[in-house]
Amino acid sequence: MESGLTSLLSVSIDFETSHLLFPRIVHWVMGILFAIILVTKTIPFLAAVKRGERTIPIVGESMDGFRFFGTLALIVAYFYLMAVVGNLFPYTGYGFLFVSMVFVFLMSLMYMHEWTKKGVIIVLVNAIVAPSLVWFILAKLFKITLP
Amino acid sequence: MSMPSISKTLGTSIMMAGMAFGSATAMAADGPLRGNVRVVIGSTSTGGDTYQNSNIVVDALAEKLDINMKVDAVGASSAFRTLDRDSRGNTLMIFHDQSYLGYLYGVEGYEDIFEKYTIGPTVAINPGNAYLVPKDSPYENLNQIIEAAGNGEEIRVAIQPGGVSEIGFSALKNAISIEYPGQEDNLVAVNTGSQSDKNQQLFDDQADLINGTVQANEQYTRLPEDDQKAMRFVWLTARQGTIEQAPEEGLGQTSREQLLQYVEPNVNVTMGDSESFTFDKEFFFLYNKDMDPAIVDQIDEALVEIYQEGDIQETQKKSFFIPDFKPSEEASEYLKEKMSRYESIIENIK
Amino acid sequence: MEFLSFLDFSFFLLAGFGALVGIIFGAIPGMTATMAVAVCLPLTYALGLHHGLALLLGLYVGGISGGMVPAVLLNIPGTPSSITTTFDGYPMAQKGEGERALRVSVIASVIGGLISAVVLFLFAPLLADFSIKFSYVEKFLIILLALSVIASLSSNMLVGIFSGVIGIWLSLIGTYSISDGGNGHTRLMFDFMEPYLFEGFSLLPVLIGIFGISTILLEAEKGVRSELASERVKLGKSSQFSFSIFKGRLTNLVRSSFIGTFVGMLPGVGGSAASVLAYTQEKNLSRDSSEMGKGAPQGLMASESANNALTGGALIPLLSLGIPGDSTTAVLIGAFTLQGIQVGPLFIPENTDTWYIMMTALVFANFVMFFVMFYAIKHIAKVVMVPKYILYPLIVMMCVVGGYAINYGIMFDVWTLLIFGLLGYLVQKVGLEVAPLIIGFILGGQAEVYFVKSLESFGTYSIFFTKSPIAVVLWLLIAASVIFSVVMGLKNRKASREEASQ
Repeated sequence: MESGLTSLLSVSIDFETSHLLFPRIVHWVMGILFAIILVTKTIPFLAAVKRGERTIPIVGESMDGFRFFGTLALIVAYFYLMAVVGNLFPYTGYGFLFVSMVFVFLMSLMYMHEWTKKGVIIVLVNAIVAPSLVWFILAKLFKITLP
Repeated sequence: MSMPSISKTLGTSIMMAGMAFGSATAMAADGPLRGNVRVVIGSTSTGGDTYQNSNIVVDALAEKLDINMKVDAVGASSAFRTLDRDSRGNTLMIFHDQSYLGYLYGVEGYEDIFEKYTIGPTVAINPGNAYLVPKDSPYENLNQIIEAAGNGEEIRVAIQPGGVSEIGFSALKNAISIEYPGQEDNLVAVNTGSQSDKNQQLFDDQADLINGTVQANEQYTRLPEDDQKAMRFVWLTARQGTIEQAPEEGLGQTSREQLLQYVEPNVNVTMGDSESFTFDKEFFFLYNKDMDPAIVDQIDEALVEIYQEGDIQETQKKSFFIPDFKPSEEASEYLKEKMSRYESIIENIK
Repeated sequence: MEFLSFLDFSFFLLAGFGALVGIIFGAIPGMTATMAVAVCLPLTYALGLHHGLALLLGLYVGGISGGMVPAVLLNIPGTPSSITTTFDGYPMAQKGEGERALRVSVIASVIGGLISAVVLFLFAPLLADFSIKFSYVEKFLIILLALSVIASLSSNMLVGIFSGVIGIWLSLIGTYSISDGGNGHTRLMFDFMEPYLFEGFSLLPVLIGIFGISTILLEAEKGVRSELASERVKLGKSSQFSFSIFKGRLTNLVRSSFIGTFVGMLPGVGGSAASVLAYTQEKNLSRDSSEMGKGAPQGLMASESANNALTGGALIPLLSLGIPGDSTTAVLIGAFTLQGIQVGPLFIPENTDTWYIMMTALVFANFVMFFVMFYAIKHIAKVVMVPKYILYPLIVMMCVVGGYAINYGIMFDVWTLLIFGLLGYLVQKVGLEVAPLIIGFILGGQAEVYFVKSLESFGTYSIFFTKSPIAVVLWLLIAASVIFSVVMGLKNRKASREEASQ
């Protein structure tokens, strides 16, 4: 009996495949939990959606599409262009500096609901000063590598 | 980054703020290497030997060439990738023997550096690669360990797999297979990670021998024997000639003379044909294959001058590095030869 | 008392200046204490060892404390170890109690910092000998104990645990790292991802992405209306701070400080586990813990005293074993090697002057941190009044800087921000829970290494129970933690049913 238990608990780890051991355990736990959640939560929820009591998240909700997708598009363009421009001036941080100015300006304008002359000027000044300050302190003073 | 370069940066920075982003790139007066240069290293640690050594060299180089240079500890796989993408010479890399040992051991993310990159000059050696046993270990020296394994005793060695930490283990295994054919499997690798993990294996009695460094373990060797943490050097893999160049006072309270007890010929790890295994951890530059050869020459020439002036050797020795400058071509030949020697060991024990 | 001669005016000036700069670094989302120490490391070469250490220790203390500011005000942990500060801090800020939350946090921080400094000073070598009794097995159990917080932290236990497991899964992407003793093979990804994901997602970009970017996406979806800001100002009046808030909380503070010191002291367990563990224990042990997670000051006290206690704790193995206790001390070790000083078991006896000087700097930095923060809070808290159309673009920009700089310049880390920003958005939309997910992510990698390595060395599952008395104690704590959260969960369910039926 004793030895049966011991052999049941004993394992031999092959170093070459040891990177798969833990993920396998996690997959099992994840699968089981997912199945339980599917049965106890998701199916009742979908039934409620069918009866019209609840709505499917994201798809069924009202959203400010312009600002949401605008934000996503701006961020993608920001990250992408930063690397591209940065590559033109290797390791100077100019990619970050110039693209950030444009990004901060555009995003501020997008989030501002009423465009007043004063508001836009504040936004513009902020968009120029803030990235310059960050760039100056980090890239120049502390010599941190920026894109 | 030394004090003058910081105050210089501060000064230039302030000037530039006034000029509203004038030309920030300090253009190298002449020579093909210009603009800002980033030196990526194969380690992620800013407290480690690669970073420290790279900084010493890069600072000297930046001053000599009068350009901005900066060391970034991005780690091996990121460093190789960054280098792959930039053939302009704005990205250089410094790494050590791990760069080809990783390839020899078949570690993912490593490729044949001699095919994929241009090998630059070697700059220094870290002579500290060491093997240690607990202070109360029954084994007096490495020869007794080889003998014990040869006579069927199991010896567990804590190493970090796939590189610099493993090569000594492989050589040991190879030596056992030569002296006691068929007994080499008595030497068992305990694969762990950082230095603290390796030490821990010794404290837990999960290993009989561990890989370490003179720098990190010297104080442990001076603890009293009844301390659980006490250790003893049995082997430094460096060449005798390398340790002989170390400062006479050695490191900490362990003098050069004491360190010399643990290198060949006092410790003999055979490679067959009466040749003895040694391993020096050498730091060298790696360049993008398509980089302008003129830059290779420019850096070589600058380093020749720097090493002729002699200040850098002092700085390196102060930090327990052994100066070891070889210009690119010589370095490339030398390292290729070095790699093929270790390749035969690794092939042998497969 | 020879060391006193080293303590000149500039010494204190540097420690104070370090604390100040550290606070700023910590307070900017995306910048961390580790980064602050890393960028100032080269300065120490010129400053000399003692003055250099004063600066770096100031940065360390300041940086860890500064992390509370964005955690409370913006729901973005400024440093990974302030993640549990967001759980109660942000709800308080939303109720208009941001200033009060910050004051509680500052006081908790200084208490944690000082307690750990005392422990460091008195017991460093002793504790170092204790810490080496923790092998892979015990470290795995510590991680497991910290993971058990997930059960009690989530509003729905099943969903919470599921989210936590997803977090663990995400942390396993990439190689089974050689530097942890793994075999260096990649898993959980396709070949084309390898150039980017070889080392997996790194923690800081994940953290600021999932908290920072996703918050902005959620706001963008609602149209970024700014009326909230004025509401907050109005409510601000109700948030009078008084020290009476600490009444009856001494046990919590002391316990959390000790947990922080202790976890900091274990090499490889890492900083973030400290505050998570302290938070769990407070949640399990205190009588009135049902409010935690909804804006209870006691949660802040646990989290902040623990994460500042880390500073002293992480210095223990550094100074008495030569092994850094967390990522910041790993950089700090460079200050010693740069000066040609070896840290190891004989560091303290052989460098008594340096040792006393470090203690002085550590304690002094804690006081500077306290006074700067406590009196600056009034102004810092006004960050929430900055219009969102100005604030949000700047947050994105700072997140980019932080993400890019944390691993010394890797563009993929910036994209990680967006990936996890989107993931955080989706996760919240489908009803999964962010906090358990991120805790799973933080602890997942370590859980794997310690679990697999335990089995590799001992070859049997039973080792987790039989390794040592410490293991048994840890199992008892884990059992208590699980039982507690189950009981609490049932109680809550019953209570909400009764409410519903009324």
